[in-house]
Amino acid sequence: MAVRSPQTGIDTRISKLLNGIPPLARFTRSRGVPFVISWAHRLSGLLLVVFIGFHIFTLSALTTPAAYADKMKLYQLPVLAFIEWALAIPVLFHALNGGRLILYESFRCRRDDVLLDWAAGLTLLYAGLLALLMLLGNQNVSAVFFWLIAGSAAAAVAYALYARIGRTAHAWSWKLQRITGAFLLVMIPAHFLFMHLGPQMARDAGLVALRMQNPWIKLVDAALVLSAVYHGAYGLNSILNDYVGSKELRWVGSGAIIFVMTIAAVAGLRLIVSI
Amino acid sequence: MKESYSLVFNIKRFDPEKGKSWMQTYRIEAGRILRFTDVLRKINKELDPTLAWNSSCEHAQCGSCSVVINGRPMLACELLVENAVELFGTTVFTIEPIGVAPVLRDLVVDLEKAYDRVHRIRPFIIRPSQNPNQGQEYRISPRAMEGYLEATRCINCFCCATACMSSHRGFMGPNAVMASVVRIMDPREDATDERLQQLYSEEGVYRCHTSKACSHVCPKEIDVAHFVALAKEGEFS
Ligand code: SF4
Ligand code: SF4
Repeated sequence: MAVRSPQTGIDTRISKLLNGIPPLARFTRSRGVPFVISWAHRLSGLLLVVFIGFHIFTLSALTTPAAYADKMKLYQLPVLAFIEWALAIPVLFHALNGGRLILYESFRCRRDDVLLDWAAGLTLLYAGLLALLMLLGNQNVSAVFFWLIAGSAAAAVAYALYARIGRTAHAWSWKLQRITGAFLLVMIPAHFLFMHLGPQMARDAGLVALRMQNPWIKLVDAALVLSAVYHGAYGLNSILNDYVGSKELRWVGSGAIIFVMTIAAVAGLRLIVSI
Repeated sequence: MKESYSLVFNIKRFDPEKGKSWMQTYRIEAGRILRFTDVLRKINKELDPTLAWNSSCEHAQCGSCSVVINGRPMLACELLVENAVELFGTTVFTIEPIGVAPVLRDLVVDLEKAYDRVHRIRPFIIRPSQNPNQGQEYRISPRAMEGYLEATRCINCFCCATACMSSHRGFMGPNAVMASVVRIMDPREDATDERLQQLYSEEGVYRCHTSKACSHVCPKEIDVAHFVALAKEGEFS
């Protein structure tokens, strides 16, 4: 009698945790732990798409420093600082779990039992580090140096994946989704980390504008915006294709996604170019 | 160990004549080693002869008795009462038809329609490759066969397709993907490009998100997600 598949009856710390939460245990039992993790990946992805839009909107105030300073004052409120910190958890989870999926799908790494625990552990470690940095609020680093390291590392990870899947018969849209994912796996956590090294990093409009005048930073930011927008748009479209049966509705939905995400990309790029 | 259990079966029913569906509760005493198909038969005999359900071989070989029990797609013919109680930690079971094809009546679905997606990938050798040993049988090395032997245990019960994270609207389904991958891995098949074109289409592997629910529920213990991922890896292109 086969009620437990050896392949997915994975015995990880994270599965013990999920099995202990009754509403989730129903799904871990009926569909398995990776199923619950996949839904968490999907939901955190949706949250991140909303966040990207919100983030670009906030940054658009950089063109008028007084308005930007006003907005940034809001972020000093403890509750908003907490939300900002808490957002790091879905961000990092999405990034690391995405890394796990890339390893599974493109590098035949089937050790989910190990990788899931690592993804969860590193997410918590990162959140702790971020909390510490936010509380200390006294770190500083040369922006060009930081982004030289982070940008190169992200490009190397993306290239490693490209080398693996670039020549396959897959659709380019899919390959690009994976490659941007690999790039963002380094870039997004690095972005969060950099912004919270010290309060001045993100909140001082003058300093942010000065940093963004550097061509390397401009390049890195443009790559970040384009990758995030493409990755998010592909993810949204994927959800649409999964659950909407009617072809016509799918066309309308895809059109709407492309329209909205293009606006976000143009707004982001305009900001980068105009500063 | 209890010899028998007082079970509550909440069964999703559907009357095609009236186009009406409803949940019906049956309370029944059942011995610990009865299978769910036996319990359904007992319900027919003792409580309600109108309840429709499906089975054929009742040896987990034909895949016709798949139902969703407490959210998990399973073969009713191999689930013993005592194992179900242990697995779900309850004696109350909600039983629904699998969701990959239209329901004909109660727990019976239109398996012809479900099979359509498997037929679309043509689960046979489309273009036979040249036999290296002309005039003799086609010999496949044990090593090559080892790579896909596990997948040939599939009985097309559609439990994996029912559990899949992606819906059934736009996805050919894990068992159909796996059936195509098996043929690609079979050295006797020459139509790799044709197959890849189908696998790399919108209804193919892009609808899979490696949630591995397929592997989790497969009654034949096939790691279905592994075969779907082999197609994603692009090794065949
Ligand atoms: S792969 Fe397993 S669950 Fe899916 S149809 Fe085949 S036997 Fe059933
Ligand atoms: S791994 Fe892919 S095919 Fe299998 S259940 Fe998950 S989404 Fe469906």
